[in-house]
Amino acid sequence: MNTLRIAIIGCGKIADQHIAAIRRISNCEVVAACDREELMARQLAERFNIVSVFSDAQQMLKAAFPDVVHITTPPQGHFLLAKQCLEAGSHVYLEKPFTVTAAEAEELIALAEYKNLKITAGHNYQFAPEMVQMRRLVADGFLGGKPLHVESYWAYDLGDTSYVGPLLGSKTHWVRQLPGQLYHNLISHGIARLAEFLDKEISNITVLSHQSQKLKSLGGQEVQDELRVLIRDQSGTTAFFCFSTQIKPALNFFRICGAKNSIAVDFTGGDLICCDSKSYKSYLTYFIPPLKNARQHFWNGLSNIFNFLRGRLHQDFGMKELIERFYQSIRDKSAPPISYREIILTAKIMDEIFKQVYPPGAASPESSPFLKNEIRADHIGKERAIVLRQNA
Amino acid sequence: MNTSYTVTPDESILVTGSNGFIGARVVETLLEYGFFNLRCFVRPSSRLENLKIILARHPGSKSVEVISGDLLSRENCRKAAQGISIAIHLAAGFDKSFAGAFMNSALATRNLIEAFLELGQPKRFVNVSSFAVYSNLKMERGALLDENSPLEDAPQERYDAYGFGKLKQEELVREYGQKRGLPYVIVRPGAVFGPGKADLSGRVGINTFGFFIHLGGSNELPLTYVDNCAEAIVLAALKPGVDGEIFNVVDDEKMTSREFLSACKSAKNFFSISVPFPLAYLGCQLWETYSRRSQGQLPPVFNRRRASAEWKGNHYSNEKLRTRLGWKPKVKMADAMKRFLSQSE
Repeated sequence: MNTLRIAIIGCGKIADQHIAAIRRISNCEVVAACDREELMARQLAERFNIVSVFSDAQQMLKAAFPDVVHITTPPQGHFLLAKQCLEAGSHVYLEKPFTVTAAEAEELIALAEYKNLKITAGHNYQFAPEMVQMRRLVADGFLGGKPLHVESYWAYDLGDTSYVGPLLGSKTHWVRQLPGQLYHNLISHGIARLAEFLDKEISNITVLSHQSQKLKSLGGQEVQDELRVLIRDQSGTTAFFCFSTQIKPALNFFRICGAKNSIAVDFTGGDLICCDSKSYKSYLTYFIPPLKNARQHFWNGLSNIFNFLRGRLHQDFGMKELIERFYQSIRDKSAPPISYREIILTAKIMDEIFKQVYPPGAASPESSPFLKNEIRADHIGKERAIVLRQNA
Repeated sequence: MNTSYTVTPDESILVTGSNGFIGARVVETLLEYGFFNLRCFVRPSSRLENLKIILARHPGSKSVEVISGDLLSRENCRKAAQGISIAIHLAAGFDKSFAGAFMNSALATRNLIEAFLELGQPKRFVNVSSFAVYSNLKMERGALLDENSPLEDAPQERYDAYGFGKLKQEELVREYGQKRGLPYVIVRPGAVFGPGKADLSGRVGINTFGFFIHLGGSNELPLTYVDNCAEAIVLAALKPGVDGEIFNVVDDEKMTSREFLSACKSAKNFFSISVPFPLAYLGCQLWETYSRRSQGQLPPVFNRRRASAEWKGNHYSNEKLRTRLGWKPKVKMADAMKRFLSQSE
């Protein structure tokens, strides 16, 4: 098997995680580090023994000719850099958020398909062990058909101000320049979980958003950090998304509900619970289901201990798994690990959320080309109108 | 006013990180020395809680200019360095990632130096570094650690992003000194303590597992009280004839880790257990081995290099600081401890 030549563009904090994950994968080698700020590329290369350092992406593509390029720059650079890489014949792993807008995501994917290359989004939490197990159960028909409802909770702790401090302090910080500001850089993992199980045609998206007192006290200005979203697709599957900087304990949770059974995934504790719909007579309904759940928690805990002892419980398990599957799809020319439909739908949902949270000028939500079949008379439609008026 | 300083009071002095624990005291020391033409550079998110108190105490501080910005922005650095004769660079990021630490330390310093050389009237660039740059891995226990001691050559193995950032920052400063003639001085404070910083130095022990583990045993601590440290930094900026020199900053009177912990516990009772160095070293070695074998499942936060640097124990000297800069600690250790412990009461 040929060794894949890997390059990385953007040598900031997340680049370390990529390289640490890549080093645990066989038959690949990081051959080039590239950053507009050459000193950044040098420090990464020095720490990870990378032979070539560049400050210009085009030069790197010509000189190193990588098979795969990981782009880990701020999202504003994703589109142009990915385009350059695809045009140079390299497969692309783009960190989240995939692009700034859904239109850019569609264009990149179209280009990748035209060039017969692969591209993927850094939605690595989709490949955490619990998510892999959940997907297996869904594929085996545990839900009893198509999902009826999905929920995704995603939390970010403001306690560590090393991230929010600089961005709150400067309006020119790259996060503040994104259409969705703080949300734009943080929610795509949580939205991608929903997009996987929704139709590509979305009929309703209702957004509630505000700024927490905590962020206000840190000088957040117009940055919002508490987000709730209700979604319904054309086939009637509904979804709920919650992003919070305040809820404690910090929630990182996913639930998928079917007509027969449901599955709950707690990422914080590496815990998956199968919730069956079996009914019990009389008071047994208070005794048996909690004990069954307790048994599942117990075995999940034991399994985590076992995996830890075997050295298989890396905190970046999902990233290594996603990268490995992506490389494998390149080698055997199979479908990439994250479907293009899911990547585009994630981007479209995010576009719509940001449009409602931070309305561009006087643009009305009705003008959104994404909402194909908005039912304004129903409860969700009314709620949305109210929210929009409040935002205005 | 001593007339043999590198600058006169008419010339401008820039202090980055001037709202920080040490930075605010540096500003106060400069004011006490009669330098009022100061430019204090702070983060945009800074609430100026330390600096406001200092400036309020000194009526002559009305000419002090406070500007906010990000040293990663070259434009902000240009504003900071315009017309400056001395730059005292204290700003430091405490990012846990290596890339973040590098950005906040090395890149920010590069931007500032270039702006200083271009737009300032460079007479002295004081780079405030840290003892974290030293490695005593190959030194005997209790050996003298001074300005000539070896520097850490594997900060990644030590898993010390802060130390890595400081090492790279020093490398840059020296490079600009050699290639562009930057008149620099590097100051490496030991364990700085005082009111405003309640945490115990990592050299005493760690509070990671819900209780305090005392690992410093009877090691001598490289303590320096914040006011004494600030004065050393100011002298490094003002004294002529020390370009290119490095100064360690530790106070005269020594305290052991055990004495320091005991004093802290007398002011604020908390539970601690003591682990002797050989046992701590062995634990760190096991952790490091497991980390390597598991390909980083547990990051190597405890490792032999860190164990040596923090808990092996050395002796320290301020001989160079005294002889070359004429520094002597203005706050005695007994007073310093009293002031430090008063914040716990």
